[in-house]
Amino acid sequence: MTGQGMTGPGRGFQQMQVEDFRLTSEPFYLPIADEIQLFETAYDQHLPVLLKGPTGCGKTRFVEYMSWRLHGHLGNKSEEGVPLITVACHEDLTASDLVGRYLLEGEETRWIDGPITRAVKVGAICYLDEIVEARKDTTVLIHPLTDYRRLLPIDKRGELLEAADGFLLVLSYNPGYQSALKDLKHSTRQRFIAIEFQYPPREQETEIIRAEAGCSLEIAGELAKLAEKVRNLKEHGLAEGVSTRLLVYAGKLIANGISPRRACQSAVVWGLTDDVEVQQSIEEVVTSIFPE
Amino acid sequence: MTLAQDLTARYQAGLREQSEPLAEEFAAAAEALEPLLKPDELERWAEIGVALSTRSLRSWEAASEFFRASPAVAKLLSYERMEHWATIGGWLSDSSPTVAATYLRVTPEVIEQLPPDPETDPGITGEGMFDTMPSRTDVERWVRGGERLNHSNWKSVALAALYFEYSARLLEQLTLDHLHELVDIIDLLSERSYQLATSCLEDSPALFATLEYPDRRPFLDFAKSLTKSSWADTRLLFERGPQLLKHIHAGERADFLMLAASVVQSSGRQGFPRFMETASALRLVPVAEHGTLIALANRLARRSPAAAMAFLRSSPVVLARLTAEQIPQWVETGARILFEDENIDGAEAYFRLESVRAEQVLSGLSARVELSDIGALLRMYAKALTGAPIAIRSTEDIVDRGIGWVQESMATTEGTSIFLPPFVGSFQDQRENFQAYKVFTTHQTGRIEFGAFGFAFGLAGAHAPATLGAREEALPPRERPALTEMERFYDLFEARGMIAALFTIVEDTRVDATVGREYGGIRPHLKRLQSFEADRRPDIRQLGLRSALAENLLRASLGRRDLMRWPAEHNQVLVDAVRALMVVEERGATVQDSAEVAAALYDIAAALPNVQGSYPDDAWEQPDSAMFGASGQMPVGDGADTDTDGQRPNEEMDFETPDQPEFRGDFKPELVQLLSMLKMQTGASGGSGQQLSREQVMELLQKSTEIGLSEMAEGQVAASVGEFLDNLEKEAAASAKAQQQDDDGEGGDGGGSDEGGSNDVRNEITWTLYDEWDFRASDYRPRWCRVGERLGEEGTLDYYEETLKRHHGLVTETRRQFEMMRPESFRRIKRLEDGEEIDLDRSIEFIVDRRAGVGPLAQVYWRRNKVERDVSVTFLMDMSASTDEEIEKHRPQERNSTADYQGDPRNYFQWLAARRAQYSPDPPKRIIDLEKESVVLIVEALEAIGDSYGIYGFSGYGRDNVEFHVIKDLDERFGDRVRKRIDKIQPVRSTRMGPAIRHTVAKMLAHDSKVKILILVSDGRPQDHGYGRDRTEKEYAVHDTHQALIEAKRAGIVPFLITVDKEGHDYMKQLCSDVGYEVVDDIEQLPRRLTSLYRVLAGG
Repeated sequence: MTGQGMTGPGRGFQQMQVEDFRLTSEPFYLPIADEIQLFETAYDQHLPVLLKGPTGCGKTRFVEYMSWRLHGHLGNKSEEGVPLITVACHEDLTASDLVGRYLLEGEETRWIDGPITRAVKVGAICYLDEIVEARKDTTVLIHPLTDYRRLLPIDKRGELLEAADGFLLVLSYNPGYQSALKDLKHSTRQRFIAIEFQYPPREQETEIIRAEAGCSLEIAGELAKLAEKVRNLKEHGLAEGVSTRLLVYAGKLIANGISPRRACQSAVVWGLTDDVEVQQSIEEVVTSIFPE
Repeated sequence: MTLAQDLTARYQAGLREQSEPLAEEFAAAAEALEPLLKPDELERWAEIGVALSTRSLRSWEAASEFFRASPAVAKLLSYERMEHWATIGGWLSDSSPTVAATYLRVTPEVIEQLPPDPETDPGITGEGMFDTMPSRTDVERWVRGGERLNHSNWKSVALAALYFEYSARLLEQLTLDHLHELVDIIDLLSERSYQLATSCLEDSPALFATLEYPDRRPFLDFAKSLTKSSWADTRLLFERGPQLLKHIHAGERADFLMLAASVVQSSGRQGFPRFMETASALRLVPVAEHGTLIALANRLARRSPAAAMAFLRSSPVVLARLTAEQIPQWVETGARILFEDENIDGAEAYFRLESVRAEQVLSGLSARVELSDIGALLRMYAKALTGAPIAIRSTEDIVDRGIGWVQESMATTEGTSIFLPPFVGSFQDQRENFQAYKVFTTHQTGRIEFGAFGFAFGLAGAHAPATLGAREEALPPRERPALTEMERFYDLFEARGMIAALFTIVEDTRVDATVGREYGGIRPHLKRLQSFEADRRPDIRQLGLRSALAENLLRASLGRRDLMRWPAEHNQVLVDAVRALMVVEERGATVQDSAEVAAALYDIAAALPNVQGSYPDDAWEQPDSAMFGASGQMPVGDGADTDTDGQRPNEEMDFETPDQPEFRGDFKPELVQLLSMLKMQTGASGGSGQQLSREQVMELLQKSTEIGLSEMAEGQVAASVGEFLDNLEKEAAASAKAQQQDDDGEGGDGGGSDEGGSNDVRNEITWTLYDEWDFRASDYRPRWCRVGERLGEEGTLDYYEETLKRHHGLVTETRRQFEMMRPESFRRIKRLEDGEEIDLDRSIEFIVDRRAGVGPLAQVYWRRNKVERDVSVTFLMDMSASTDEEIEKHRPQERNSTADYQGDPRNYFQWLAARRAQYSPDPPKRIIDLEKESVVLIVEALEAIGDSYGIYGFSGYGRDNVEFHVIKDLDERFGDRVRKRIDKIQPVRSTRMGPAIRHTVAKMLAHDSKVKILILVSDGRPQDHGYGRDRTEKEYAVHDTHQALIEAKRAGIVPFLITVDKEGHDYMKQLCSDVGYEVVDDIEQLPRRLTSLYRVLAGG
């Protein structure tokens, strides 16, 4: 999902440089604890942030929200919030993908900045999503950026960039599928302050679903109740609990005329697992909660 | 002088020579006959008699009977026929005077049983004379029966005599035709055993007296078939037959016996046991259904009598699940297998209910829902609802545990498990029955989820004002603090039974109301079930007023106020009570509210006179529902104000606790709280906090109304409370340990620290059922084998270390080889001339280099190295008794001894020394030793490579007891315990491979890895008791094992068999079509082969 300002009916195709992307209106975010204050302080103090939490619990939305909210801080005087550069990490992500590389242009080569370099230059929030997916040697290159130096060495050009004031590195990862293979190196993880996210408690989640999906409060409450029940099955057949995101999807389907049982089936049950027995169990929970 | 005297005088001397009494008998008979016979007849009679007496050495015995019987016979037979009678006696006496004597003696009785001859010429006989005289043919036929049994040896003579002896009684029951059938049977039997024949004949009169006339012929037919095919069982049939047949519908017995006869012909020795089982099975079926069932069976019998009998045998099970109308449908599928597919074995398995097909069709037709089918689903459902690891069990379990729960048909919970009836079949529709199960489960999870067991004294509720504290203060101070919060609550009231019953009603009401509110989807089903239960309540008018109040409240709580009945004069009481009950139906009500409401209801009930039958039936009216208002309200004047003496139940108090509706089931908060305290105590053994003394608990249990001791005598109570407490403690200990184990498991510590302690707990056997493939039926036998998984026994470390030392070289070598298999974790290999994708940076470099004129290398591709090694392997070792065999060593040919030392003593000693050296002091090596050595080697190698692996051994005896020994589980960490277990791998019993493979496959499926390999090491073909049609059959076992291997393949596991059986090549081909196998000829190569093979299979 992109920000609130980006979607709308009949909107055409848009193209922009990554560093130009910033949120123009306040995205919906319901604070659960003191995470906003924590993040704000970290931003002011140039402390890189690690967001931990299960999938679909609102990490990305939180970063978006913060990028909008922080517009008044650290020289980001513009009314539009801090630029937000998001990189979805994957296992083939290389250092040059992040920092930049030479490309051929006609008869000569031209240097193209990678996303992290751009962020350093414009003072953006650089959000590396699912950082554990990236290979360990790639992640090392962010180290000098994360401590007091705030430097990005670009060895290919023999340059050293000092980050602009508004720059902040934010990482996210999901400890759920943490395995020996996919874990953060300690030298990496000890450079961040960590904010833990959990699925929101039932009341808040109800509020989130209602606001995001535009369904009735009652339906939102039932969906949140369903979520609570389904999450009880984590580690007992389910690798992950149902995400708030899926609940919002279900809420949207319901708000647009799909029957609740059917909506839950397609948004929650089938999305969560392929194990038939677990599916049946969850469906029984669904049919217990939602009348025909 | 009369003719008689004359004749006596004439023959006396001669007769005396034979025997003194003979002459007197003659005289008496002649005297008696004189008025009956004409003189010439009498004369001839005397001649015949005397002739008979001298016919042979002992024929005087026959003559004696002749004389004695003659007067009676003369009244029944014409003289002419009397002579015929005597003639027969003469013939008989030629072969045996004893038989002749018996014949002659019994004739008068027998004649009365034989049908009169319709052709008797009235002219010959006088008016009314001889009108019961049987025909000559009939008499001859009767005698012929005896003759047939007489084979002229003394045993057969005795048998023939017995025949005549019993003739009259037999002919009372049987026609002559029947009698001859019986003689056939007895004769056949006598060929085998005279003793058996004799006792069957002796049993016969009583037997046929109990059989109804139409059944006699079929019975004889059946007995004859049985005698032919399994003579030894005839006696049993004669003894028990009528008893067995008694339960079968009279009109159907003949058909059934005919069916049985045809079965016996085809199934030999098994025939009679099957008949008995079938007859006993039919006993469990309503008589009205016998006709249909036997008709269906008869149809099947045309092709396979065994299938027909099997069907009848299964009929009680089938009828329990299907309606009578559905039975033909179920039979139809089996009949199709029989007639269309012409698969007789398959059909028989189907009707024996030993085929998956049969089960499927059965459950497809049946509306009944079985807990075993949906237990896993409900477990997850319950887990989801409560967030606690709830177990779903059958109610049979909790009753067996003897911890206070006694009802098998009702759902219940003890806080950590939910107990459900083994099946639900109350409704006609499968879905409805399933929904009923769901309501059962939801109510029980509701008790857990909504805190029904969490009552805490002194906490305030959401709606009801708190009075309990004030009540307690009004009572004399407690002698000791209460053990549980519930005890403290119940102790406030004189009548514990009544407060417990009321609290149960109130709390169940609250739980139901909360469930209905929280789970909108289940509400309709809950309502239906409530209503269904309400319709089954007992007649209220028989109850005392207090019990009636409780019953009415229960009905109200089931949502059926229309079913309430109450004397109108006490209407206000009912209104107060119902409105109080409504308080807990409100949103937010807690268990504390329930306690307050129950207390208030107790006051209301206690104020009522409890006289039974004081109202006529018509005084019980349906109260107007408008009285109750729309919202709950506590009665005015709460308990604190009431004078405590006033609530004392008076003398006439006799409160009957209403029966619980099935879906609510037993509610025992006091016990649950106690149990959880005991658990905590056991869990924190020796820990802090107050320890419950046995006496305290005993005291609590004795006063508790929850353990249902009320029906017992005083003395019994103490004893059973003690026993009960033992059970409770066991229960608490077991679950506390299970808990601990869980914690250990999550800690991932492998349990290294307290090896001794946890050993006995963890060495429990867990049983799993598996299907078995029946190749004849081409179907699985459902849940046929029971595999018991247990941890292997632990020996010492010495064995392992010894083996390592002994095979040092081999170990190092295999380790090295295995280490080479270790992949360089998955990495992008760059600078390739060909590969998966173009490396952008390299390409640019390349182009720049080319431009710059440097000789570029076109290494612009990259590819990813082989995916990470993700292999798991299990070794399944045959631990059958045959692995105990020594290995025949390939010894060097012993030199010819005599040629060797040739008489020279010095040579002899050399020879002896050499020979001794050959027999080393080591015990001879057995197959199992090699298996163990292989295990050690492979373990060492696998530890080097890091693949996850499991090592299991299997053996067992019979399908119910397949032993599965865990040497090292897939997830288990390698350590000393595993090393010790390897020491204890030893030969046990048989080799039922199929279930062992299936169990291993199940374990591997639960394990997540890309490549899965199962290596089975065996020393021979699969065999086990009952693993085949009979002891000699090998095919069944081979087919099942093959099927199990195919299942493994289908599940994505690579199976591989290694056998050290040199004869293995013949059956291995069949066993392993499509599956890899190897016959290791030189058995000592096993360790080496196993490791190198593994490299081939898993290396790649």
